[in-house]
Amino acid sequence: MPEWSIILLRVIGVLFLTLLLVRMPGRKSLSRLSPFELISVLVIGFTAALWSLNLIGDLLTIIIALAVWVLIPQIFSILSLKSKKFRDIYRGQETILVHQGKVLEEKLLREKLSPEDLLSMLRSNRVFNFADIEMAVLEPDGELNLLLRKEQQPLTPHSIGIPMLQEQAPQTVLIDGNIMEEKLAALGLNRHWLLTELIKLGVAVENVFMGQVDSAGQLYLDLFDDQIKVPQPTIKEMTRATLNKCQADLELFSLSSRADSAKKVYSDAARDIKNISTGLESLLSR
Amino acid sequence: MTVASQVKQTLSSLKSAQASLESFAIETQNQMAKQLFTDAAQQTRNVVNILEPRIQDLEREEPQYRQF
Repeated sequence: MPEWSIILLRVIGVLFLTLLLVRMPGRKSLSRLSPFELISVLVIGFTAALWSLNLIGDLLTIIIALAVWVLIPQIFSILSLKSKKFRDIYRGQETILVHQGKVLEEKLLREKLSPEDLLSMLRSNRVFNFADIEMAVLEPDGELNLLLRKEQQPLTPHSIGIPMLQEQAPQTVLIDGNIMEEKLAALGLNRHWLLTELIKLGVAVENVFMGQVDSAGQLYLDLFDDQIKVPQPTIKEMTRATLNKCQADLELFSLSSRADSAKKVYSDAARDIKNISTGLESLLSR
Repeated sequence: MTVASQVKQTLSSLKSAQASLESFAIETQNQMAKQLFTDAAQQTRNVVNILEPRIQDLEREEPQYRQF
């Protein structure tokens, strides 16, 4: 056999072997590997490459070398799952670098980070002022995660006391013109409902690329032909607008009427409508 | 437009909003949202009930503009 054909066979063999071996560390991205695991992956790769190019000959040596480099990291990672102490040594521990707006210099020194390094890591987390930080933690893989002080955290409905309803995820009921019966059934709807909705919008089933139904039963469509504009459901916004308009009208009536009793009727009604529309704020806005 | 017809218009808008709220209450799967919509529809209906007598008063005051 000529040498190039031997190398071809070896390369193909090694390709499949490494495909299996590299999957061994489990579903972790490359940057999440511990330094030791990273080295072992590199060594496996190099050994396989050297053997496939016929630079080191003996198959048995290669198999033994590969086996060691594959098995030992496996054993270590299993051990590190079982024992907390071993895990701290093997994976390293996280370090708190900033606590309550104060930089902990000795920790910084121990991690061999310069103040500029810290500032640049903070900036990549979109923080430009270390006084805004409640706690910044350096993870074992070198990533910096931080918690902002309460007053610097972004507003959420919860933090300003607006009650929100739990909303179900929208269900995709139409893909490529195919109706997903079980998704519709999960929403308590059926094929006829969907077909009726499509007729209302004047769209044929075959023309729909994707269709979703939200928890309020509104249908959102994407068509194959992007030139055609499908009206998006606006009935909720319309209702809110109607309520707001009624409120404004009633206030106007209350201002323009002369009789005190009528004034009071109108202003009370306006107030009631305002209460209703603020109560439904979270439901009627999408 | 006379005052009476303006009030009538507002009243019918309110009725339409009430009907929409009732249909939301029927459509939604979420029990809490259902309750909120039902309550809102009920409150809207109350407002409509309060305003309806006003139309009669207005028509009595301006009988020449009575429409229907």
